[in-house]
Amino acid sequence: MSKKNKFYWFEGVTEKGVNALLSDENPKFRWLRTQRNRRVLVVLMAVGLVLTAIGSYWPAMKSVFSSNGVSLVVYSILAISVIFLVLGGYSLLRISVRSIADAPDELLDERQVVVRNTSYRYAYYAMGYLILGLFLLMLFGPQLQMFQSEGNDGSFLMIAALFAYSSMPSMVMAWRERDI
Amino acid sequence: MSRNQEEPVNNRIEEARLAHGLSRQELADKVGVHYQTIGYLERGEYSPSLALSLRIAKLLKQEVSELFSLTPFKKGK
Repeated sequence: MSKKNKFYWFEGVTEKGVNALLSDENPKFRWLRTQRNRRVLVVLMAVGLVLTAIGSYWPAMKSVFSSNGVSLVVYSILAISVIFLVLGGYSLLRISVRSIADAPDELLDERQVVVRNTSYRYAYYAMGYLILGLFLLMLFGPQLQMFQSEGNDGSFLMIAALFAYSSMPSMVMAWRERDI
Repeated sequence: MSRNQEEPVNNRIEEARLAHGLSRQELADKVGVHYQTIGYLERGEYSPSLALSLRIAKLLKQEVSELFSLTPFKKGK
């Protein structure tokens, strides 16, 4: 292994980072790698993504709950916390699958490449259904009066979609694989 | 029959590895794969590429046909 820590810009991983996760040198996150714990993490991540997505409706909730200035603080703290929780979940998810979903071919062996590619195939389908859901929301949302005008610019939905896009292969892998 | 239905490949990697006194980790390091991949191979849950089969066979000083077979190996043979 070279001493220089190569950074893979396209994948967003470093050589040492991936190699450290692929080896069992660091036992700190070993508990995360059981299939049960990985699946719990996937469910929590999905819940976090849904919470982030419906964050676009939080301003309306804010106006319903309170008319004083405290609600703005509570809303802001809640919004930032949820985003950071999802970010934390995303990091743990990557660790739980040893970054295999994000690693380039040259850092993986042939079975891991197969596992990674299969996860991307299923993630691609899952994203397709997610986009279909967003289209349906776009089509029927206004008729069903799902959107409130106050502060709802759909930014939380976009953030959630970006998180889903980034984490879907790891989520699929974490759910499907028996041993990682 | 599906065009891409995977045929199970039987192998005697575990037997040969133990005969050489190698752990899964040691064999994995020598043939350049993750130790879990050796576990998958030994359980028959993953069929290796020809290149990996040749590397394993060379390391364990056996012919590929002695290590891998489409028909089950007879016990003790």
